[in-house]
Amino acid sequence: MKLKRTIRQVFAIAKTDFLGIVRNKTAIFFTLLFPLFFLIIIGFTFGTQGTGETSRIQVGTVNLDGNMIDVNGTVSQNSTIGDVFVQVLKDANFTVYEYDVYGDKDTNGTAAYDISRGEIKIAVVLPANFTETLSYQYTDSLGIPIPTRAHLDLYTDPSDPTGSIIGQQSLLGFISGFIKYYQEIAINQLPENLQDYAEVLADPITVSTSEADVSGRQLRWIDYMVPGTLGLVLLWSGLNHASVAIATERTKGTFQRMVIAPVSSITVLAGKFISSLAIVYISAVIMLASGLLLFQVNLYWNVPAIILAIFLGALSAIGIGLIISSIAKNEEAANSIAVLISVPLQFFIGAFFPLDIMPEPAQIFGEALPFTKLVYAMQDIMTKNLPFEAVMPEIIYLTISGLILFVVGIIAYRLSLKRL
Amino acid sequence: MNLNDIEIDAVTKRFEDTVAVDNVSMKVAKGELFGLLGPNGAGKSTLTKMLCGMVNPTSGTIKVGGYNIRDNAMKVKELLGVVPQDIVLYDYMNARENLAFFGKLYGLSGGKLRDRIEELLKFTQLDEKAVKRHISTYSGGMKRRVNIAAALLHEPQVMLLDEPNAGLDPGNRLALWEIIQTLHKEGKTIVLTTHMMDEAEELSDQVAIMDKGKIIALGSPRQLIKKVKMENTITVVPNKITPKLMEAVKKISGVKRSYRAYDEEEKIETIKIITERAEDILPEVVSGISSVGSKILSVQLSRGTLEDVFILLTGRSLREEEQL
Ligand SMILES: Nc1ncnc2c1ncn2[C@@H]1O[C@H](COP(=O)(O)OP(=O)(O)OP(=O)(O)O)[C@@H](O)[C@H]1O
Ligand SMILES: [Mg+2]
Repeated sequence: MKLKRTIRQVFAIAKTDFLGIVRNKTAIFFTLLFPLFFLIIIGFTFGTQGTGETSRIQVGTVNLDGNMIDVNGTVSQNSTIGDVFVQVLKDANFTVYEYDVYGDKDTNGTAAYDISRGEIKIAVVLPANFTETLSYQYTDSLGIPIPTRAHLDLYTDPSDPTGSIIGQQSLLGFISGFIKYYQEIAINQLPENLQDYAEVLADPITVSTSEADVSGRQLRWIDYMVPGTLGLVLLWSGLNHASVAIATERTKGTFQRMVIAPVSSITVLAGKFISSLAIVYISAVIMLASGLLLFQVNLYWNVPAIILAIFLGALSAIGIGLIISSIAKNEEAANSIAVLISVPLQFFIGAFFPLDIMPEPAQIFGEALPFTKLVYAMQDIMTKNLPFEAVMPEIIYLTISGLILFVVGIIAYRLSLKRL
Repeated sequence: MNLNDIEIDAVTKRFEDTVAVDNVSMKVAKGELFGLLGPNGAGKSTLTKMLCGMVNPTSGTIKVGGYNIRDNAMKVKELLGVVPQDIVLYDYMNARENLAFFGKLYGLSGGKLRDRIEELLKFTQLDEKAVKRHISTYSGGMKRRVNIAAALLHEPQVMLLDEPNAGLDPGNRLALWEIIQTLHKEGKTIVLTTHMMDEAEELSDQVAIMDKGKIIALGSPRQLIKKVKMENTITVVPNKITPKLMEAVKKISGVKRSYRAYDEEEKIETIKIITERAEDILPEVVSGISSVGSKILSVQLSRGTLEDVFILLTGRSLREEEQL
């Protein structure tokens, strides 16, 4: 009986709150459509250019140079130049991870696997004959060296076009530097009267780049950005709405009229929470639908995981909103504080720009935000089609921060009631 | 069984540096219509808000229906119907939606809720078209009526009406008086806050006059008027009011108090003279006024009012702030 009544009260409060948004054009714009506005503006205008320091570029090396190879009928296992290549790469300040095989996206411990998980942005495969080709060891029957070029294969992460371009450009820059270094040494060892070698020496290493087989399909930058906008949804529909939901009613006096009815303050809070959640989910649907319609994004739909992650993220957003709502004197103050927080934050959550291109302190700050974790989790699941287990760290982070912020929000809300 | 529905004991409310309610104690018996009369800022609304738990007292205890509001807030809330002084409705919803919302908060549902809504929509006298429009499109009077209806849905035993008449035209005001009287006859306990003395006098069984956070007089309207022995008021309308004229009136023997007052209905300046023997001193008043060169346009004798009680106690008019 009592429970039924409470449930009815909760839904009456939720419905009233919800109508307050859908019947108010300004509120519709700011709580539901603002993220969409951003998606469209940035989606259509933002390029994929960008540079970064090499230390932020994670390169995977697969050095097969030490493997056995048949040279002129004998087995060779020389790995000198390959080892130098990897060492110089490290000296050049790239963050280098070494692998034995390139592998595939499903085999743990291979370069392809780590690309698919975003651990490395690019992988370079050095062939087994890397040293042999570059040290004139292929000879004809007379023992005269045959001009041969070495070949490197690069693999990039197609789900992160910006990161890939940065990684690829930096690595190509490194390789041309390495070539100059090689040429200086090689020129001294050039056998006499071998003019054919001059041509090879001018261009001793060829490089081909391909995208890693991450998800079996081509991804564009927008495919990565649309899941990212779910982070904006949390800021604009969750945090913002929760900030003003109670403050507005307090300013208008309807909150006071609610609490003089036999309704507990937690019932009021539950109603507000449900309507805030509804708004977050509606906004998320609008965002994803717009991505599909406007940009034909190509995403994977692990719906339960998406719903769960958004719910956990919304706990943080609504928790912060509650704190703001309780501190602010009135509706306007609550609104200003919320905008002051969400506008800057939206640039730190990795929704539009990969955090890698930001200065280190900004990266650390951004990484700490629960909204960023939601963006990562959504990109991993929707863009890279990773299994749910792969985003467990993000989910755990979202759960913990959500619970903490929500509980602090409830405490702030209850304290604000005592101020009456 | 407790015979009082409301018991207020030594209640004080302080806001930063203002003492809005200052050590007030009073009781309202079951079924009584209690008028809370006082000028702007007297602390009437603050007292009402403390009665319903919207504002917490700084000190003192409040009991409603025998329940201490601090320990049994939910029980008290069930008993109360509160009409706030300001219109508090969701302006993006229509009258029916607003009533349904408040009805659900009070635990009504289904057919019972629908019946109550329809009954109260009749009371609001809104036509079917208006009922479907959002509150934001309503006139002040229409909003007022919905504001009151929202407090009646659950048929509360104790009603707190904080200036329910503010902003209503005379016709609507009378209609509301009738409703208040009907509720009174049904046996509800009603606290009616007002700064209209005629309203308090007409409707109340008991009146408390508040000023600056304190109750300065308490009793039935008749008792109060008797207590200050002000059975008569002479209202004079001269062609002009001068300080000399006021001085002359004051000197007449038997005049307890005299003051200028603005008659809102007639829109004229009057002089009110309070006395215990109006008939006896009337000739002197007429000659006194003529002697300073003013002409008398009209003279009226009436018995004392609560307004006179207030003036006698405080030296100020109840409505003086409104005249500014
Ligand atoms: N929330 C508040 N914060 C600070 N002061 C307040 C607050 N509420 C009321 N007051 C002050 O308390 C005093 C009493 O106000 P209250 O509203 O109770 O008067 P009132 O008798 O209802 O007046 P009115 O006839 O104008 O409605 C006033 O001085 C008012 O300024
Ligand atoms: Mg008031």
